[in-house]
Amino acid sequence: MSPGSIDAELFNARVPSGRRWLLWFLYKVLWRTVFGVVIGLRYVWAKAPHPDGPVIYIANHNSHLDAMSLMTIVPSHRIHLTHSVAAQDFFGRSGFRSWSMKNLVNAVLISRTKEERDVDPIELLDAMLRQGHSLILFPEGTRGVPGVMADFKRGVGHLASRHPDIPVIPVYLDGLYRTLPKGRTLIVPFGGTLVMGDPLSFPAETSIDVITEKAQLAIEAMAHDLLDENKIPSSDSP
Amino acid sequence: MNKLIEAWSVNAEVQWVILIILCILVFSSVAWNTWNFFKPGKLVKELLVRTRSWWIMCACFIVTTLAHPLVTHIGLAFLSFALLREMYPLLKLDQRERNVVMLCYAVIPVQYALAYLGMTTLFLAFIPVFMFVVIPFMLVIRGETQGIVRSIGLMPYSLVAWVYGMSHLALLFHLPEIPSFTAGPQGLLLYLIFLVGINDVLQFGWGKTIGQRAVLPKVSPNKTWEGLIGGVLSVTLIAVALRFLTPLEAWEAAFTGFCVALAGFMGDAIASGIKRDLGIKNSGNAIPGHGGYLDRLDGFSAAAAPFFHLIYFFGVTTAG
Repeated sequence: MSPGSIDAELFNARVPSGRRWLLWFLYKVLWRTVFGVVIGLRYVWAKAPHPDGPVIYIANHNSHLDAMSLMTIVPSHRIHLTHSVAAQDFFGRSGFRSWSMKNLVNAVLISRTKEERDVDPIELLDAMLRQGHSLILFPEGTRGVPGVMADFKRGVGHLASRHPDIPVIPVYLDGLYRTLPKGRTLIVPFGGTLVMGDPLSFPAETSIDVITEKAQLAIEAMAHDLLDENKIPSSDSP
Repeated sequence: MNKLIEAWSVNAEVQWVILIILCILVFSSVAWNTWNFFKPGKLVKELLVRTRSWWIMCACFIVTTLAHPLVTHIGLAFLSFALLREMYPLLKLDQRERNVVMLCYAVIPVQYALAYLGMTTLFLAFIPVFMFVVIPFMLVIRGETQGIVRSIGLMPYSLVAWVYGMSHLALLFHLPEIPSFTAGPQGLLLYLIFLVGINDVLQFGWGKTIGQRAVLPKVSPNKTWEGLIGGVLSVTLIAVALRFLTPLEAWEAAFTGFCVALAGFMGDAIASGIKRDLGIKNSGNAIPGHGGYLDRLDGFSAAAAPFFHLIYFFGVTTAG
């Protein structure tokens, strides 16, 4: 069997064009307006231009709004080719949830535990990247404690080491956990900042652990810069 | 072409003040660009960024002022909302109080609707009387009283300072008919926006050029006596010069300008104190060169209510 057909078996790359326009309207128009005007999310764009082909976006994770906000920064022509990676055990719990995750968020559900999986998630995501799709990963694996970043899981390392040509774009999200915290359903606008980093690229044969660590360091550095940005300089203090 | 201009309902006074604003913007853009061309530096870079932001702010203000009053009300309501949204995360309110925060946001459309419907008495009482009881009560019925004094102080304060104050600008549309006054509410609104804006610019300008002694060295080292006095005096004069936008006599306009400049300074100083306590330089990054919404609107929200009452007193009460 040729590698192409294995890929096709793992992942059907075709996205219906209706969903493409729905996603464009939902994220580039509707959510973008909600984030900008209502929630007050500030976008800090990367200095480097956005790469044209497939990319892996990685971000810290504290709120359900995180995936929505990341979809709004994806270039319009790739919105239907970009999938956030979500947990099967949480989002696949009901038919409605998994339907809306597929059609309204364009997400791909993977299982977090070893027992219940029939397909290795890394193989599935790998097949998606090979077919030119982009991924949105939250390497912490869970929303965790508000405002605290957990250690990254190695999934991003696995994928980036198999695809040295695909850039990794680190994104730091600050403050969305106030707008929609874990366990709440009411969205209360509280502002926030989305910092988009410059694309990281890892030369072939970089080890999985090094990539994971470098990715985490990149996001931590962005968090640090943002924190320093608005402090009163020490020389100015009375 | 003449018919088109006649059909456009912007009166001559408002056209004049817009022309003046455009002239100032063009003049400063040309001046800073020339300065930057011959002698680039940090100060002139900052001035350029600030002027570019002023262009955008003036465009937004003028368009929303000249549009239908409903648009003006919605625009002002959005400014109040932006102020609250910017400050609430900084004030570090308890996350468990987010339902009450939502209630505070919900007060904004009600307050501006009262202004739009012209229900002046209820408008004046809604926040400082009713919400002063309702919001603390909503905080109390949570059953958790630890740290509640802080929230009971902060939430009603935020509403009075940034919603109630700002909403008086919308109330300018509901002044009683004033005989021989033609500039209309749009004129009054632009008059106040112009005075507060130029007050900030002039206090900054006087302070940077001849400023020596700080007024409030512990709160805001950049505010100087020279800037304050120079700013207040210049704004008083400008208020007299622009009084064709108002129903005021010369000395009344001078007094109004003096009060607006002083109130603008006070609002600015209060905001500086809050920011210093929170350990931040600016309240946000919404407006390049200026900071957040509060950094720009602190003067407006403090000067709006005094301005409204002065216009009401001089234009309506004493005029008969």
